[in-house]
Amino acid sequence: MAETPDTSLEQALDAVANGDRNAFEIVYQRTSVKLFGVALRILPERQEAEEVLQEVYLSVWRRAGAFDPARGTAMTWLITLARNRALDRLRASRRRPSDPIELAGDVADPEPDAETQALAHDEATRIAWCLDRLDGDDARLIRTAFFEGASYSDLASRAARPLGTIKSRIRRALIRLKECLA
Amino acid sequence: MSAADDTDLLAAELALGLLDQAEADSARDRLRHDSIFAHAHARWQAYAAGLAANLAAVPPPHVWSAIEAALPANDDLHTSLRLWRGGAIAASLLVLLLGVRDLQHARMSVMPAPVVAMHPAPLVAVLSGKQGAVSVNFDPASGRLASAVSGVDAGPRAVELWVIPADGHPRSLGVLSQDRPGWRVAPALAGHALQPGVTLAVSLEPAGGSPTGLPTGPVILTGKLAVAG
Repeated sequence: MAETPDTSLEQALDAVANGDRNAFEIVYQRTSVKLFGVALRILPERQEAEEVLQEVYLSVWRRAGAFDPARGTAMTWLITLARNRALDRLRASRRRPSDPIELAGDVADPEPDAETQALAHDEATRIAWCLDRLDGDDARLIRTAFFEGASYSDLASRAARPLGTIKSRIRRALIRLKECLA
Repeated sequence: MSAADDTDLLAAELALGLLDQAEADSARDRLRHDSIFAHAHARWQAYAAGLAANLAAVPPPHVWSAIEAALPANDDLHTSLRLWRGGAIAASLLVLLLGVRDLQHARMSVMPAPVVAMHPAPLVAVLSGKQGAVSVNFDPASGRLASAVSGVDAGPRAVELWVIPADGHPRSLGVLSQDRPGWRVAPALAGHALQPGVTLAVSLEPAGGSPTGLPTGPVILTGKLAVAG
């Protein structure tokens, strides 16, 4: 396929599913900076992150047909794929982060700024904005879960808090996040 | 809290990776037959992907070269790479077995051998791919293997040369110097495989060469060994 400014990532992925190498290159050019950012966030060692990035795109090449536009955007699909691959690598290396999480008890900004909120139009900026509205500890716990593959029980032990306490505070935060995102 | 809220929370927990393995498995199972849950999960996955909003890093160019080199343009190569990986355990076993046989062979070869009148012809190969080339010259009489690398951007990684004999199991011929031509005596086991028509390949490996004795990185160049002249 030839790239035009209107070519959507979804269209490009569709072409990749039919073996279109130009489309594959378009997908790489448009998304590799984001996906490498994700890989490096999870695997701070550059070489590992590079290898995971390679694996991710080779699996995009093979599995582009598995992308279902009814279930989300192409970018979400790619980020999820990159995150899962990087976490698999992290788990396989048995070097999962285990450093303590200090709960600082900082308080969220109670006065959302209507102007910033209006600017946060797409989902990606919206979630960042809504996370900022949460208690700083809650936001950190949620990010740690997503980027370090830390479950409720991992978070509880790293934050030295009872499992029930961690679960209920994260659940409360998720409900607030949902309200903010709605 | 209503059942709908519970469903939504569970979807969030699954998308963010908060559940334990068993809980996550059963939630993933539910995705398959509960469309409301699947829908909520898709929405939370999109939210979760938004956590990456501020992340960006430009990957070095060799990542794309390696991806391209591994695409089915190099079809034979791709298949053999898969075979290598799939058969990694079998291959190491085989290498072990061959290693033992080779040791015995080596012991036998110190016995006086009949003088070979004809000097065997040197073998040459030019390995090519998407980017760069490697030329290889092997002299069966001395076992000397000379090589030169040009135009390969391996970044911090090592460029490793392999021979892939008919059994499909690659054997290392060592890490090649990227900045000047070099020569070495071919390792015994791999040296036996250096026959006319055999496939040679170059892969990118961690600095110092493959830690496993089998290619671990992408194969970027291939070629066949032929009688010179």
